[in-house]
Amino acid sequence: MTKSAIEEPETRATPPAAGRLRALVVTALPGLAWLGFLVAWEVAGRLADPILFAPPTRVADAFVELTVSGRLPQALLVSLQSLAVGFVLALVVGIAVGLLLGLHPTLARVVEPYIDAVYATPRVVMIPLVILWFGVGFWGRIFIIWIGGVVPIILNTAIGVRNARSDLVEVAKSFGVSDRQLVRHVILPGAVPYVIGGLRIAAGRLLLGVVIAEIFLDLTGVGGIIQTESSYFRTDNMLVGVIVFSALGVVMIGSLGLLEKRFSRWKGQGTE
Amino acid sequence: MATEASAGRRLRLRGLTAGPHLLAALVVFGSWELYGRVGNPVVMPPVSAVLTGLFDITFGGPLPGALLSSLQLLFVGFATALGLGTLLGILIGRYSLANRVFGPFLNAMYATPDIALLPLILLWFGFGMTGRVVVVFLAAFFPIMINTYSGVRDAPADLLEVGAAFGVDSELGRLRKVILPAALPLIMAGYRLGIGRAVVGMAVAEVYLRLGGLGTLIVQYGAAFRTDLLIAAILPLPLLGIVLTKVFERIENHFQYWRNV
Repeated sequence: MTKSAIEEPETRATPPAAGRLRALVVTALPGLAWLGFLVAWEVAGRLADPILFAPPTRVADAFVELTVSGRLPQALLVSLQSLAVGFVLALVVGIAVGLLLGLHPTLARVVEPYIDAVYATPRVVMIPLVILWFGVGFWGRIFIIWIGGVVPIILNTAIGVRNARSDLVEVAKSFGVSDRQLVRHVILPGAVPYVIGGLRIAAGRLLLGVVIAEIFLDLTGVGGIIQTESSYFRTDNMLVGVIVFSALGVVMIGSLGLLEKRFSRWKGQGTE
Repeated sequence: MATEASAGRRLRLRGLTAGPHLLAALVVFGSWELYGRVGNPVVMPPVSAVLTGLFDITFGGPLPGALLSSLQLLFVGFATALGLGTLLGILIGRYSLANRVFGPFLNAMYATPDIALLPLILLWFGFGMTGRVVVVFLAAFFPIMINTYSGVRDAPADLLEVGAAFGVDSELGRLRKVILPAALPLIMAGYRLGIGRAVVGMAVAEVYLRLGGLGTLIVQYGAAFRTDLLIAAILPLPLLGIVLTKVFERIENHFQYWRNV
């Protein structure tokens, strides 16, 4: 599995004359599929009960309305702020703990079962505990976001540190570097591709943490819009919130995928 | 004898590895117990209180019933995801037409955090069993579908040619005899990822709806400030996730030999 998302198939070279129209249809197919989907959604949305379903035109109106009134930008700011803080904390703690576990295999063997147990616990069921420990507010939300993202970064960093190239380590040692310098100049740079791999796994979980925190813990942000509007049966406003999250997901996963591709080339050069 | 010697070494090794584990458990659970006894038991009850709580809700308590209802939901949702995910994965992995039509939506859906859809799903599918099953289904569907897709897409061309030379020339025969066996390791890995996600989806549906199952039990204990019972009721969930993932890992390893042939 490469990027764990669906790639578009390559367009095959088609014979000139007869195949040209066919080639055109084939390349236009994703666009046509979207168009067909939107039309079907519009028709279904107009026929269906407006409480249950909103056609794209109404969702677009809702988007404009929520944006102009300032409610959506404000909510987006709240969501992005907690996402950014959770992301940075997960990255810093993840690299530090991952480095520690990577350098001390016994410690890693002993601690990893506990980390696995935390990782396997669905975050929604932690909500009652988070309310008791952090309260319903910013830091409670940050905890829910952070704990989902930190584990893959810890585990991947530890693997990266363990897989440090022994030839480079030996060269560095023969030049008489200190342990500190070894970590700083050989082991950590070598682990970067692994950290980024962990980050890509963490990205989806961090975003999911924002949604969980805003729907289950503290009704704010874009998740707050979705949950609040559901009690007024405003399907159009709810869909605006979902689409915003979806776009955030596409941007985050896409950009980290690109970053990973760049660094894996570096990694590949190293091991050859 | 060699076997005796290796058995002896294994025993000693096990003793060696058990030491640090015991020490770590002692530190973790010991400090938890101490912290719980000194501090506020509503914030963090001692581990002994959690264990007595677990005993109380298991024997003659609501835990077995809740677990059973959760497992039912898990089974139906995961089975649906397994069937549809595998089918759609084969379809878009094998036919570029299907890929071009469905690919864009599936990619967009994959990037959507599924919990954001929760209020909508329940509005559309109702607050009964169907809505909850859809939540579990959506959680497990994507890893299964995407792994099947990449396994089927990368079916080795040389195997297909050999198959054709041996008279496997119908599409169904190709799928059954060549493509699916070759894709099996990846497909099984998708099932393993999917079962873990399904457990999360199950908890999400139950916490949100509060209509029964483990998730509901947890919310109730949380609302009653019974933190000891709350933690006791959380414990089966990671256990369930880890055990089910290990079971699927076993099955997966069983099929891994294809990889090396």
